[in-house]
Amino acid sequence: MELDEMLRGGFMEGDAVLLAGSAGTGKTTLALQYLVTGITRFGEPGIYVTFEELPDQIYRDAKNFGWDLRSLEEANKFKLVCTSPNLLLESGTQTILDEVIKELPAKRIAIDSLSHLAMYVQENQLRQEAYRLVRHLKTRELSSLLLWEVNQTGGSSFSVTEIGLSFLVDCIVVLKQIEIESSLRKAILIQKMRGSDHDKRLREFEITPGGFKIESAFSEYEGLMTGSGRKVASEKFVELFRGASGKTKSR
Amino acid sequence: MSNASETLARLLASEIRGDLLVLFHRNPGLIDTLDGVARRIGRTAATIEQDVNDLINLGVLKTRVFGKSQALLLDRERDREILETVAAHIKDTREGETL
Repeated sequence: MELDEMLRGGFMEGDAVLLAGSAGTGKTTLALQYLVTGITRFGEPGIYVTFEELPDQIYRDAKNFGWDLRSLEEANKFKLVCTSPNLLLESGTQTILDEVIKELPAKRIAIDSLSHLAMYVQENQLRQEAYRLVRHLKTRELSSLLLWEVNQTGGSSFSVTEIGLSFLVDCIVVLKQIEIESSLRKAILIQKMRGSDHDKRLREFEITPGGFKIESAFSEYEGLMTGSGRKVASEKFVELFRGASGKTKSR
Repeated sequence: MSNASETLARLLASEIRGDLLVLFHRNPGLIDTLDGVARRIGRTAATIEQDVNDLINLGVLKTRVFGKSQALLLDRERDREILETVAAHIKDTREGETL
């Protein structure tokens, strides 16, 4: 998919990826697509861990994209684990995931979401617990996608680094909703990726019936990270020129 | 009362038990604490405890200990057996009524 092109070849094996975005940006869809692609294209079984949404909602939503998760589960290529963050945190040496990881055996995992984990620990313990989780998954040689819900109130920017998790992960993918000319559009950005000369541009994406479709970069706009983009000065000049030239022609 | 009808009566003895059965059957991958399960059906741990214990005694649910926490999950094998017994019982009862 186009995301692999942005990453210059895809996520690296065993990497921990933070997928940050506000509600409704498509984090769950991208995470499911990552797992389904892993199974169908690369033969890598995957686990989806959800703290909030119930599995039946996820099965139903996935089916809308043509991903039959129940069939993948029956074929022992996929497992959907629904639990509470505290159960995962208090698991001790044998975590709730270990049995499932061995059973598949899993190569990919998506955790939905670290934000829920944050609700069960004190603020100063979040980094420690997230670090423990990331290390646990890495020790089991899993490539992980950790979802993080960011508050994006109108017009304001956000930084995933302010939660202090950026140093724990190998890659940060940000999904944003941006306002351009009074309409909301979606953008994806690779904010960080260790060991890769990744695409640094903010690119538009759409959620199509087949999943994520990444389009071209917003080259004509600036200020997009604030959530509200405006045309770059040169584009405004070009438009002005076009307008003037159009008026001349109509005469 | 036959074993199957007794099981059926115990399974459907309360609204909470019904909610728990629906929750675990629709979401067989659910592994959660008593508190977590309660939250998912919009109730409190204290309210559902008795019904959870009855479902454990029936064999529909089982428990696993992870660290200091106890988790509840569906015993898929035992659950399938119970469902088959109950389904057979319902079929027999209906056939008996028709005759």
